[in-house]
Amino acid sequence: MADQQKYYPEGESLAQQINRRHRNGSIWRYLFLASTVIAIVVLIALLYNILNQAFGLVAVQTMIAPDSLVRVYNEELMISASNTTTSEDDNVLVEGIVGDENGVGFFGYAYFLKNNDHLRTVAVDGIAPSANTVADGSYPLARPLYIYTTAEILAEKPQVSAFVDYYLQNSSEVIGDVGYFPAPAESLTASLSKIGSPASINDAAGEILIAGSSTVFPLSQRIADDFQAAGFAGNVSIESVGSTAGMRAFCVDESVDIANASRPITQAEREACRANGREPLELQVGNDALVVVVNPANEFATDLTSEQLTPLFSSASSWSEISSAYPNQPIDRYIPGLDSGTLDFFSEAAFGGELSDLPKEDLIQILAANISVGLGRRLERDQRFYDDTLIFESQELWNEVCASDEPATGCTLPARTTDDVYRLVLERVVEPQVVETWPLLNSLTNRSEIIAEAAVEHPDATVEFRSWLTGTFVTSPQSSEPELAGVRTAILGSLWVIGITILFSFPVGVGAAIYLEEYASKEKPINRMIQTNINNLAGVPSIIYGMLGLAIFVRVLETFTSGAFLGTADGSTANGRTIISAGLTLGLLILPIIIIASQEALRAVPISLRQASFGLGATKWQTIWFHVLPSALPGILTGTILAMSRAIGETAPLVVIGASTFVTVDPTGPFSKFTVLPIQIYQWTARPQAEFRNIAAAAIVVLLTLLLTLNATAVFLRNRFSMRS
Amino acid sequence: METADMRVTVQQDAVSERDVAATLKKKSKVGETLIQGFLFLCGAISILTTVGIVYELGKEAMLFFFSTEGVTVGGFFTGTAWQPAIQQFGVLPLVFSTLMTSTIAMLVALPLGLATAIYLSEYASQRVRSTLKPILEILAGIPTVVYGYFALTFVTPLLRSILGQDVVQIFNTASAGLVVGVLIIPLVSSLSEDALHAVPQALRNAAYGVGATKLETSLRVVLPAALSGITAAFVVAISRAVGETMIVALAAGAGPRNFAWGDIVGNYSATPFNPFTSAETMTGYIVRISGGDLSYDTPDYNSIFAIGLLLFVITLGLNVLSRRIVARFREVYE
Repeated sequence: MADQQKYYPEGESLAQQINRRHRNGSIWRYLFLASTVIAIVVLIALLYNILNQAFGLVAVQTMIAPDSLVRVYNEELMISASNTTTSEDDNVLVEGIVGDENGVGFFGYAYFLKNNDHLRTVAVDGIAPSANTVADGSYPLARPLYIYTTAEILAEKPQVSAFVDYYLQNSSEVIGDVGYFPAPAESLTASLSKIGSPASINDAAGEILIAGSSTVFPLSQRIADDFQAAGFAGNVSIESVGSTAGMRAFCVDESVDIANASRPITQAEREACRANGREPLELQVGNDALVVVVNPANEFATDLTSEQLTPLFSSASSWSEISSAYPNQPIDRYIPGLDSGTLDFFSEAAFGGELSDLPKEDLIQILAANISVGLGRRLERDQRFYDDTLIFESQELWNEVCASDEPATGCTLPARTTDDVYRLVLERVVEPQVVETWPLLNSLTNRSEIIAEAAVEHPDATVEFRSWLTGTFVTSPQSSEPELAGVRTAILGSLWVIGITILFSFPVGVGAAIYLEEYASKEKPINRMIQTNINNLAGVPSIIYGMLGLAIFVRVLETFTSGAFLGTADGSTANGRTIISAGLTLGLLILPIIIIASQEALRAVPISLRQASFGLGATKWQTIWFHVLPSALPGILTGTILAMSRAIGETAPLVVIGASTFVTVDPTGPFSKFTVLPIQIYQWTARPQAEFRNIAAAAIVVLLTLLLTLNATAVFLRNRFSMRS
Repeated sequence: METADMRVTVQQDAVSERDVAATLKKKSKVGETLIQGFLFLCGAISILTTVGIVYELGKEAMLFFFSTEGVTVGGFFTGTAWQPAIQQFGVLPLVFSTLMTSTIAMLVALPLGLATAIYLSEYASQRVRSTLKPILEILAGIPTVVYGYFALTFVTPLLRSILGQDVVQIFNTASAGLVVGVLIIPLVSSLSEDALHAVPQALRNAAYGVGATKLETSLRVVLPAALSGITAAFVVAISRAVGETMIVALAAGAGPRNFAWGDIVGNYSATPFNPFTSAETMTGYIVRISGGDLSYDTPDYNSIFAIGLLLFVITLGLNVLSRRIVARFREVYE
């Protein structure tokens, strides 16, 4: 009875059973679907991961900032110019110019004010230095001075609030005493409104911590003294550490309440501040200006353009060289020394210029000053810098090198172009290096956090978006620097290897398939053995083929695969680890695939076609060549192309037969040593540095594009030929 | 067409019909025999390949076994430490690591591949199938080095963030095994689907006729009927997982995980059976040694051939087994 109820249920329990079975059915249906979807999800994850690594933000740090390279170069020009007296003591400069009617020099406005009775200023670009021209920004040799704080600090610390208020109210009156110009009135009013209602000086007590620019330091110090004189009971500590270090103390370490700066805050510093919850308030407190001064006896030099300033303080030796209107008198220069911030400022403001704008001569000078002579010689032997003179190499040695059996390439090539020299300066002197990278998704969603993080971890680095896959990446040879590395040698290697592979395996594979399908009698044991053997070979791991290739092609057939039998082998490749070894190894590997695909294609050709051909008196081969093969061709080609894509992606056998790890020259023929795309990807992936992962991802994009193109060709061929037949 | 044209030309030039026939016969016989000979040679190259593999691997392996100091055949197969520098040549650490990655791979590929095959063969409409199958083919066509990159830069960090940085090492067999599993899903699903597809529709109709649901038909009628083909697919997949190289070379670690038998009970995490520590597999070892600067006829160089021979025997055995299964247990439907 119970059994009957179980196997043949009725009524309510029948309905329940049916429901249960249907429920099970739909649950499993979704499980099956989910399993299928997992494969798709993995595919998406795989592609996402590659794109995520191939693009993204990078922090680039240079060994030397290009700007400072230009500045140092210009300073060197100024210091080493003829008739130049340098001194860190401004009084020496003033005395020098006062006592020399050909004298010319520059220094901070403050020192001019002290000596304005026996010196005369020169207008620059037609604008004389004055409070007005400096304030409205028209005088070229001026820069604004700032202090930075935040609304939160002002709200939390009444002493800071009172101090900043006092600073803005009083700086205009005392700034002349320390040698600077006041900030424009509107700017001060705007600053005052930014800080809101200040605390009273009498309520304020405690410490005020300030750090930053050495230029702003005397102003802040003066204000602090006055502030204390006005009744502030607490302590004001001011450190003169430079704008950048001050910003760092303010934004990153949060160790000071106010940062002094002689330049505006950078984007990275602002982000770093925000990352710590500090929104910096920018308050301009004055302007710094340099003046160019001459002896009052000099009546002609009243107005100079900024272009004239450059030769005036470097190359020119006589006033007449600056302008034809000036007399032919020598120029005597009195300028601050290398330790002075004034020299830096003048160099940037008067000489200016980007590294990329410099003429070839200057770039070569910079290069020569910053690289070793040995490296310079090597570069010069690769390609000369000038056609007529040598920079690094001595003329005798050069002649010797060029007269030798193997002359350097520099002996014949034309001289390097300006762009080329500029690139060398970037590579060898500036040396931009990626110090950290971020994946694409992170770069897009957390941009500001990343910039802030970079400002903390790599204060000297700039953060930029980088695509690791670029035109240069595809066309550059391998390099040990990930930023400069490319895949050209690998792509060419892959094409050479695959060419050899196809030349070998296509005819042999199709031939074997024809034999097995059209000639071989299935009864003969040899034929059955061949068939079984091919099926088994298709399942042999690729690495085993690599070992076969290593034993046969690399070792046994070394005289052939190294090209030694043709006498073409050079010493570096004579070990048989060449393109032809790789191509033949991969040829053996894909042979079973091509045979099996071709067999299927041949089998699909209807027997009636063969019978019709035989009936007309064609021989067996004529039947195969003119009728069977053309019909089977689309199938054979599709199979071959799929086998080709297998061969292009193969890595393990080529590692085993000994693909070269580092090849920078293009392969020249079947007997060259080689590297291929997958090997390149493998080697880059296996390295611990993140940047190599990035270029590996870029190389994967190249490889997948190549494979996609091949497979699309296969689909196209299949469709086209099957339509015709 | 061209054949007929040729015939016409030949006939016009002929002196007498009998002569032509005779010449043609003679000529074509020689040509045809040459061609057939060439084609046979093409087929024979595959035999030569196998012979070459067996001979070369065997020869170098013999050198390793019989003329390397410290190597004994027994020690090779039972030793639990692979340290050529101090003449310990026990292959078990490498074999067990391979076993580990292959097992993890099969745990992934077997259920997912089979479920995918059942879905595609029994459930999916023609349109869904024609969308999903190319995607699986793409998955199968991606080079293994790309999967290796995926394992190292995506799966490993994922595992480490889920299970903890101190539990999962940067190189581990779990990550490699999971990705090898993904790699062979298309193989399992496509071979299994072929087997399921070959089951005659009449069997399904009969099941529906006695009131079975689609699930019951698929699992209790179609699946058992296709079992031999599916088993064969699994065995081929195992062989593929054992021979997979680039994924394990990149993600599983470089250095054999030597162990002592006692550790398996007492200190499990120090053995190759701990999926979260680095452990070098047989293929990983071959790639690492041959990728370095290797001089011929050193113990290291010869050892890769011994390991290669072992690998070849294992995979060949699995492939032959798979064929046997199909041949012996195949249900033949008239």
